[in-house]
Amino acid sequence: MSDQRTSRSLRWYLGRLWRDLLSVYYANTPIWRWLKSGALVFFGFFAWMSGTVLLSVRPEWGFLTYVMAYGFLLLFWGPFTHFVVVPVSIRLRRTAEHPTVRAVNRHAGKINLSIFFTLVLVFGTFTPGIMMFEFDPGLGDGEQDDVRGTLVCDVDDDVVSCHVDGAQGIDHVVATSGGEVVATVDEPPFAFEVHTDELQETRTGNELVVEYRDESGELLRRQVRTF
Amino acid sequence: MVSTVSQLFDNDYDDEGFRTCSVTGLEIHRSAENHVKLFGLTAVIALVVGGFFAISVAMTRWEVIGLMDEADYYRHLSMHAWNLLIFWLVFMEIAILYVGGPMVLGRRLPLTTVAKAGWLLMVAGAIGVNYFIWTVSGAEVEPLLTAYVPLNVPTGFYASAVVFLLGATVAAVPFFATIWKEKRWGTRKTLPLAAFGAFVTGIIAVQAILGGISAFSYALVWKLGIIETINSGAYRTLFWTIGHGSQQINLLAMITVWYFLTHVVGGAVVVSEKVSRSAFILYLFFINLGAAHHLMADPALGVGWKLFNTSYAFYGAAFASMIHAFAIPAGLEAGRRQRGLGGGLFGWLTSAPWRNPVFSATIFSIILFGFVGGITGVLMGQLQLNMTWHNTFATVGHFHATVAVGTTLAFMGLVFFVVQTMFRRDFVSGVLASLVPYFYAGAMGIATLVMIYLGILYGVPRRTSSVVRNIPGADFSISAAAPLMSLFGVFAVLAILAGALFILVTLGSLLFGARLDTGEDAGLRPDGGLKPDGGESVHAVDMRGTFAMCLIFMATFVALYVINWFLLVQLWSIGA
Repeated sequence: MSDQRTSRSLRWYLGRLWRDLLSVYYANTPIWRWLKSGALVFFGFFAWMSGTVLLSVRPEWGFLTYVMAYGFLLLFWGPFTHFVVVPVSIRLRRTAEHPTVRAVNRHAGKINLSIFFTLVLVFGTFTPGIMMFEFDPGLGDGEQDDVRGTLVCDVDDDVVSCHVDGAQGIDHVVATSGGEVVATVDEPPFAFEVHTDELQETRTGNELVVEYRDESGELLRRQVRTF
Repeated sequence: MVSTVSQLFDNDYDDEGFRTCSVTGLEIHRSAENHVKLFGLTAVIALVVGGFFAISVAMTRWEVIGLMDEADYYRHLSMHAWNLLIFWLVFMEIAILYVGGPMVLGRRLPLTTVAKAGWLLMVAGAIGVNYFIWTVSGAEVEPLLTAYVPLNVPTGFYASAVVFLLGATVAAVPFFATIWKEKRWGTRKTLPLAAFGAFVTGIIAVQAILGGISAFSYALVWKLGIIETINSGAYRTLFWTIGHGSQQINLLAMITVWYFLTHVVGGAVVVSEKVSRSAFILYLFFINLGAAHHLMADPALGVGWKLFNTSYAFYGAAFASMIHAFAIPAGLEAGRRQRGLGGGLFGWLTSAPWRNPVFSATIFSIILFGFVGGITGVLMGQLQLNMTWHNTFATVGHFHATVAVGTTLAFMGLVFFVVQTMFRRDFVSGVLASLVPYFYAGAMGIATLVMIYLGILYGVPRRTSSVVRNIPGADFSISAAAPLMSLFGVFAVLAILAGALFILVTLGSLLFGARLDTGEDAGLRPDGGLKPDGGESVHAVDMRGTFAMCLIFMATFVALYVINWFLLVQLWSIGA
């Protein structure tokens, strides 16, 4: 008897939960549209970024791309569903006369969710660039890009001597201070000397900016040192 | 112009200087109302100044634009921080004390000369701080909010900060005198909840302000050469009683505003006075200890001290927040269901007056503060997790979630409320006024989330303007963060536009809004009035909507907690 009551009670609660979910999904007043869309954008951002953060430390967990795809698509699909799909579906429920339209409309919710989850599968599997973030910290170890080199500087009698250790992928180096060029070097190891008087004084000391550039003068990496 | 301004301070009072508010039903005395207006308007001016510098700060951190160099950026950042984190909020909080004290209790404001003296000192201090930040030159540097000694900042800055804090203390005196009079001669056995909340806010404010006066005075006498050396560890500990304590004043003032506004415009009831009061008492003992989380990476402090403040003491404050997080929506749900306003799970919420900006600003403040500011605060307030957040852009995201979205939105709602109920002006455009909370909450909410992810995902530092191209002195770049930085820039611009719209609507309504006649409620009164129309007692009312929201909140909390601990473990490879 007790079990029966528990069972009935549990079924009743589950039924109410389902009815509540349906009522929230189909609620269609202006404020409901805004609230649901806002909440889904918020949740989508959370899922997208959480997946991204976890993937940055566990790149072997490929399933996270599906979590990211879910969140990323929810940013657009959430508002689309509640500003377009649900209102149109409710309107067609009253006004549609063609039997095909009525039949399709009867399953509008299922169709909408099916398309959404199919897109999640596609985006999760093929991961378009716009959805993915890079995590390359640019440490200069040469494994993740073809530009590397460590700037090494010493100060002796107010003369700053610098060179780039292990330079690769760098065409030339331009050293500036206060916007003025103080040295340009074309040959590895890109060694140069500057007197500290030539460097602009900042609150943390005399500042030297060293830029690694490619053949066309494009900036590859920028280093700042103070002495 | 002068007559327009003087009219703002005029209402129809009886011979004794009282009038009855047509929305709240409170007996309001001229002295209290005019001082609320004075402090509130000054706060809005500080908001304008701080908001103006938000433009240059955001346009510099958005490196595609890169508006200013490092030195100018820091100057503008200091102006932004002091005007918004301190002046806008503290002026508003004094106004809230006068609402929560004399207005709610139906009394005149005592010691009005003292209140005016407090305002003058605060204004003088605020102008001084702005002046010394703006004019600093030579070997001296701009003091950001965290102006740690022995940073070489102007002597006048410390003096101005002390004057401002003294002014805030003086301005709080009439409020405490009101409470004392009420307890000494009043007829009530207990203070109403709003007055009680304001009272606890006042105590916490005094505690924080005294810490601030101690810290800045200590630095001032050192700067003047009266003492030779200064213990920087002691300074930091003292500083954070105001540095973070000022934000705890915001928290309590904001929660008091939540209780007040959900009641007067949403028709909320108090589900349990005792439980809500207990939560305020828990804050009284524990909330200011949250300041310790700024010192978690400080080598001068013992681990035991850090652990106590970030665990045992911390739970007391977090528990109090949980109580308010349930009590306020539950009060709204119960109050509206008692009136028959909403069936189903969330009908009570969706049938609420969402076109009323006072209501929507309050609810968005509750939701965003809870989900973004509150959860991140608990996460980064922990000794261990603090290591992954410390001094990254995520920290900036956290306090924008608490202060820029949570508190500022609640206070925006309160300003709109004051415009209609105390200045008696209708909005110059109802549509634009309704739009402000949605626009601001949406844009600032997303900008805040992006800041948090930039900090967590890439470790973007918090105070360096040039991040994508270069971190000065470091051998690595985080250029991969560029797309998110651009996203931040776009939403920061939108948030600034929303803030400007708020200012336009507020000032436009004050100057050009139609005068509301006596008795006119401007549509602010909740459906069915302020009192429930009988029926079920509050404890018998279904509150499953609030329960469902709390479950969602807890699930989010747990998920974020697990993710953050997982990230920490990955960084240190524990057990590997």
